Amino acid sequence: MKKLLLIEDEANLRILYTEELKKEGYDVVCAENGMEAIKILEGTVVDLVITDIRMPQMNGLEALSNILGLRKGVPVIIYTSYPQYKTDFMSWAADAYLIKSSDLSELKAKIKELLGERKK
Amino acid sequence: MNERSKILALLLAGGKGERLYPLTRDRAKPAVPFGGTYRIVDFSLSNAINSGLRKIYVLIQYKCHSLQKHIRDGWNIFSRELGEFVDLVPAQMRIGDQWYLGTADSVFQNIYFLDQEKPEHVLILSGDHIYKMDYRRLIDFHKEKNADLTISVFEVSVNEARRFGVLEVDKNFCVTSFYEKPSEPCPSSTNPAVSFISMGIYLFKTETLVRRLIEDAKNTASTHDFGRDVIPAMLGKDRVFAFPFIDENRKETKYWRDIGTIDAYYDANMDLANVDPLLNLYDRQWPIRTYQEQLPPAKTVFSEGERSAMVQDSIISGGCIVSGARVRHSILSPWVRLHSYAEVLDSILLDNVEIGRYARIRRAIIDKNVKVPEDATIGYNPDEDRKRFTISEGHVVVVPKGYQW
Repeated sequence: MKKLLLIEDEANLRILYTEELKKEGYDVVCAENGMEAIKILEGTVVDLVITDIRMPQMNGLEALSNILGLRKGVPVIIYTSYPQYKTDFMSWAADAYLIKSSDLSELKAKIKELLGERKK
Repeated sequence: MNERSKILALLLAGGKGERLYPLTRDRAKPAVPFGGTYRIVDFSLSNAINSGLRKIYVLIQYKCHSLQKHIRDGWNIFSRELGEFVDLVPAQMRIGDQWYLGTADSVFQNIYFLDQEKPEHVLILSGDHIYKMDYRRLIDFHKEKNADLTISVFEVSVNEARRFGVLEVDKNFCVTSFYEKPSEPCPSSTNPAVSFISMGIYLFKTETLVRRLIEDAKNTASTHDFGRDVIPAMLGKDRVFAFPFIDENRKETKYWRDIGTIDAYYDANMDLANVDPLLNLYDRQWPIRTYQEQLPPAKTVFSEGERSAMVQDSIISGGCIVSGARVRHSILSPWVRLHSYAEVLDSILLDNVEIGRYARIRRAIIDKNVKVPEDATIGYNPDEDRKRFTISEGHVVVVPKGYQW
């Protein structure tokens, strides 16, 4: 079973996304901010990371820089309500930049695509 | 907005300078004193200022206290209100990682500063080298070629090139190969005796730089170094050009020195005391600035037979007193004090060194705050010197900072 790490500071969204992604057959671990996520990544093998940007302690872009610093080659999807971070150079390092929506189909399709690519 | 303000300079000043030990025991290589009153980093910074660049980040990491102080005290000369700055950027220390993994990683980890400035081009400089260069000529060339990356190159003998990044270029100066420290450097197409080496000066289009840095950060096999990883990966994909160095030193031979070893350091300093030095520090067209405290003028006292001050072929900085001592072909940094009957030959004395009566110093580098006692000798008895000090291949004795007898 593929394991996803979800970084999201809003509890409601964390629960909602986790349920939805579990339905798709993924194992989901959660972190409330970037700092927590890095600690998890240091000790756990994860297949893909989904991260919000605006979070306390360590935001998603700083988390992304740190994830690359771990050099584990794990793909990262930015999942945010704000399109304006696309001009931040660090966001270019994400494998996908998606805008949050109540319909998770775009996110699910992107996860499939990125995990599929990794199998090759 | 003037053209130059669209360029952001990043000066990489984290060099360890391991082969300069013990001069780099307590300081990073760019902070190593040079030519009496300068530090190595002053040359790149002066070049940047003289080239009209006004947005400069200095990336520091290893043993940066002395460098930090020097730049804060000496280079805080711009108006932030006008968007001009020389700012120190300490290593942020990613979670888990100690220091930057390589030169490319040091820029990648500070990508945030590129967001803030959104420059069109990023000029990456090294704080390790001594040279005079007008970066405007490089910038013009880069734009003319519509290059993604332009590397400033220097010509050295094929044999010497082994220590550097060696480039092959076609007739349009488009770079066709780049090898870091090759065992058999390729000669230049026009002269089989010389090779083009990278001077560690890179001018990038910002967007290309960011994309290539991200690719490099994701490459788990990379050492995250511009010369070893990023540049070779760009060849055949991006427009990479070589810009043959144009020297503002305006002498017969072009001057660029990677002060890599104690002997290279010694020779480059000693050159300055020659009648017609290879490096001209007295050219008002291309001033090299530094930080200096307010110093009283140098002075010499006593002229009584044997007890006479005598200074020949030497650089004497402010605050020095040569009191009844002899100095020949030497460099004295500020606040050096020489007492009667002492003799200093072919040596470099850094700040606040004191030489006692009748002491004799030859072919030595004495680092800061050392008090050489009366009658002591350095540079006359290699076996004795070796017991206490580092001696270079070229037989230069190095007395470390603060050494106590």
